Amino acid sequence: MKMHTSSKLRKEFIKKWVKGLQICCSSKKNMDILERKKKIKLCADIALASAKNETTLWSIALISEAKKDDENKILVDNLLGPESRFKPRMTNRQMIACHKRVRSKKILKKSRHVCQKMKKMGPPKSNLAAYIAKKLVKRRTQVLKRLVPGGESMDKFSLIKEALDYILSLRIQVDVMRTLVNANEVLNQSDSKIYN
Amino acid sequence: MNKGEELGMETFQFGEEIQSLMAVVQPPEAGNSFTALLELPANQAVKLLHSHEETAPNNLPSSVFPSAENSLETTTSSVVPNSSPNNINLVKQEPIDSDSMHNSSPNPSDPVVSKSTKRKERETNVKSSAKKIKSVTNDDGEELPYVHVRARRGQATDSHSLAERARREKINARMKLLQELVPGCNKISGTAMVLDEIINHVQSLQRQVEFLSMRLAAVHPNIDINLDNIFSAEVIILQSFYLLMCNFTCYAIIHKFLSVSTFIKTYH
Repeated sequence: MKMHTSSKLRKEFIKKWVKGLQICCSSKKNMDILERKKKIKLCADIALASAKNETTLWSIALISEAKKDDENKILVDNLLGPESRFKPRMTNRQMIACHKRVRSKKILKKSRHVCQKMKKMGPPKSNLAAYIAKKLVKRRTQVLKRLVPGGESMDKFSLIKEALDYILSLRIQVDVMRTLVNANEVLNQSDSKIYN
Repeated sequence: MNKGEELGMETFQFGEEIQSLMAVVQPPEAGNSFTALLELPANQAVKLLHSHEETAPNNLPSSVFPSAENSLETTTSSVVPNSSPNNINLVKQEPIDSDSMHNSSPNPSDPVVSKSTKRKERETNVKSSAKKIKSVTNDDGEELPYVHVRARRGQATDSHSLAERARREKINARMKLLQELVPGCNKISGTAMVLDEIINHVQSLQRQVEFLSMRLAAVHPNIDINLDNIFSAEVIILQSFYLLMCNFTCYAIIHKFLSVSTFIKTYH
């Protein structure tokens, strides 16, 4: 059953990626290598996220992040088609305000935590190993939150679930791209053989 | 003899129909990939994970067979039974079909069986030390509404810490699933190290995507529109070979491409 869903996802991803590349190709004719790479990667990411069809948080976050850029917006809209429901829920200014609010809340929380810790200095020291372990876990979850798209606004529990799904989808993406690269290599080799 | 052959053909077709029905009906149960993953490692944190998704596929085989039996019976009634051995053959083939069906789908039933036995084992283990029972409501949409957590000896039983414990156990269960997914994570114990491995894995996958897209950009002078020819071939191959290993599909694709390469050269 796992194989079945992954192959379905794979086909969806390939279809959408090709569609996106076609749109890219039709819009601009000459691009240097870095631009091309960016477009390829962008198409791949959006294809992967939209192949998920809004079932996971990270895919929604990825697409809304891509839409923030004005130049990518048109591409994304074309790619998703008329049935796209991804509308940026907030304008840019509201986003900035939201971020500021979140940051100030975090600062308040931290200061409160520190105060509480200062009050009860005794108990944590007795169980030093557990305390250190907790700190390590906390730091690593922070890093994971930054890696998984949209991770900052997830609690620890759904973060793990999203990370699981994200790893699976990334694997499919890497797999497809790698087979394409290998195929190209073989084609080029056969080309040179024929010409020699 | 002709009639016998016809009947044989019809049973064969019905066998194929049954198989296609099974293939069609099963995928919708898969839901999203995470729930599909949950079905596989059957011995992981059984009491906290959702169980009705596993019982659903169990109901499927039983629902498919009555319909197949009915259709077979109708055909036998419509055909004039002038040769009795043919009818007996029909009747014999149908139970064989159902047997093969049963054998082909042992997986949905096995996890349920193993889960129920594991649940019983755990309960008997806990019973010896349990003092109180409390049910904790769980507001996560995809799981059971009530999680029965038994309090162990010497542990607090107020709802707060029970909720905490349930939450922690949920997180540990999910972490175990992640451990299974990431290669080389099985032997590591401790949440921090596992998280470390997971982070490394995600980072390496993201870097690979960057690298591969750079390579693809370098290969093509411009992004080819003929890619869709390549991809349609790959889709065909995927459909027929999806059960095989990764390396194998790679080679199959390469062989197919070699035949298509001349067409692409003319485009260049």
